[in-house]
Amino acid sequence: MNQANNPISRLAVNFPELLERVENDRELLCDLIGIFREEFPRLQQSLQGAVAREDMKQVEVTGHSLKGMLFNLCVTRAGRAASRLEQMGRERERSGLREALAAFEHEVAGLVPELDAYMAEVRQ
Amino acid sequence: MKILIADDEAFSRRLLEKTLERAGYEVVSVKNGRNAVEKLSEPDSPRLALLDWVMPEMDGPDVCRAVRRQQGHPYRFLVLLSSKESKKDIVTGLESGADDYLTKPFDAEELKARVRTGERILRLEDSLVEARESMRYQATHDQLTSLLNRGVIIDLLSRELSRSQREGISTAILLCDIDQFKTVNDTYGHVTGDEVLKEISKRLLSSVRSYDFVGRYGGEEFLVILNNCDPGSAVPRTEQIRANIANRPVLTAQGALPITMSFGVLLNQEWGARPAEELLHETDAALYEAKASGRNCVRLAKFRRAEDHGGEMGREAEPRAAVLSKNHR
Repeated sequence: MNQANNPISRLAVNFPELLERVENDRELLCDLIGIFREEFPRLQQSLQGAVAREDMKQVEVTGHSLKGMLFNLCVTRAGRAASRLEQMGRERERSGLREALAAFEHEVAGLVPELDAYMAEVRQ
Repeated sequence: MKILIADDEAFSRRLLEKTLERAGYEVVSVKNGRNAVEKLSEPDSPRLALLDWVMPEMDGPDVCRAVRRQQGHPYRFLVLLSSKESKKDIVTGLESGADDYLTKPFDAEELKARVRTGERILRLEDSLVEARESMRYQATHDQLTSLLNRGVIIDLLSRELSRSQREGISTAILLCDIDQFKTVNDTYGHVTGDEVLKEISKRLLSSVRSYDFVGRYGGEEFLVILNNCDPGSAVPRTEQIRANIANRPVLTAQGALPITMSFGVLLNQEWGARPAEELLHETDAALYEAKASGRNCVRLAKFRRAEDHGGEMGREAEPRAAVLSKNHR
């Protein structure tokens, strides 16, 4: 299937895989999305601050937390972008750090509204 | 079964909790490695733990190392959870003491399968420990009476004698024998004889303190060790034990049988540092004297110096059994 025509590929979240991961437990899914909505802004802010200060340890730690959460939520592309930041932090690789953050932010830009829309659908 | 989850990320923790609870497990969660070690150190702690690799305060491998250093706990099955998946990471994780390894994000079915593997290994471990304990019990206890067997009680006596020498306290050695036991066996049969042996064993055990020792020394002969026994109270306490046997008949399938015992007693403080075998020999002589004096009585193996009874030059000292009580039936 052409990726442009695949509705899943346009979405940040792979919802069918996510539903499988939670064993079709929609209540748990809403619970997890709730946790993500609480944690994500704080972690994103922390990552932005760490990149601005070039605090590489903090980039590694926050990148790791974001990566785990995003992969668990089946948000693969953003998860990979977070993983790249974690790796750069671990290897103290400063060059390209801001670009890596921009790539990450691009991937997560529409994530929260997408999750909100999905939650509303699930709850109906 | 109770499972510990240690993960600092709320999202991952909730997903693990719910997946395991749905599978019927009881879940305990903590947010860092230090709390995981504390939880696993508690009595009745979870036997299986899922430990995130990267955690504040102590990471997963550090938790594994700390748990493996602990003594006196049953085996804990430890599973490391991490997105680290290079061979080097896996080796590091397993060498820290982890039993298994699960890559995040985990698949629910794989997680449950690995937990079931852990349960199987823990059950196997429990059955091995149980078998070992059962063998240890059989090797150290008399099958009929469940008292300590001859080898063990003699070994304990040697240790207690060394300890009492070191600490300057007194140990009383009691050798006792059921009177006319052959007559019981000949008249009522060996099954009744066994009933008598079992009941006498119970009474001996219930007549001493929890830190004293009672063992089956031979057929109808028993060895009792009274630890830290004040010299003045050894004989009265032995008299009490004798009375506990003699004052109440033993109830058997053949009816109530009046049973008595004769006792030889020795206080090690009077004899100095001598091997257990030598002191047992002297205690046995006192028991023999109790038998010869009409049975159902207590005789103390009394140490006396050569000059106390004159003429026996060349022997520094010799024992004699002092007549203390006599209760003929």
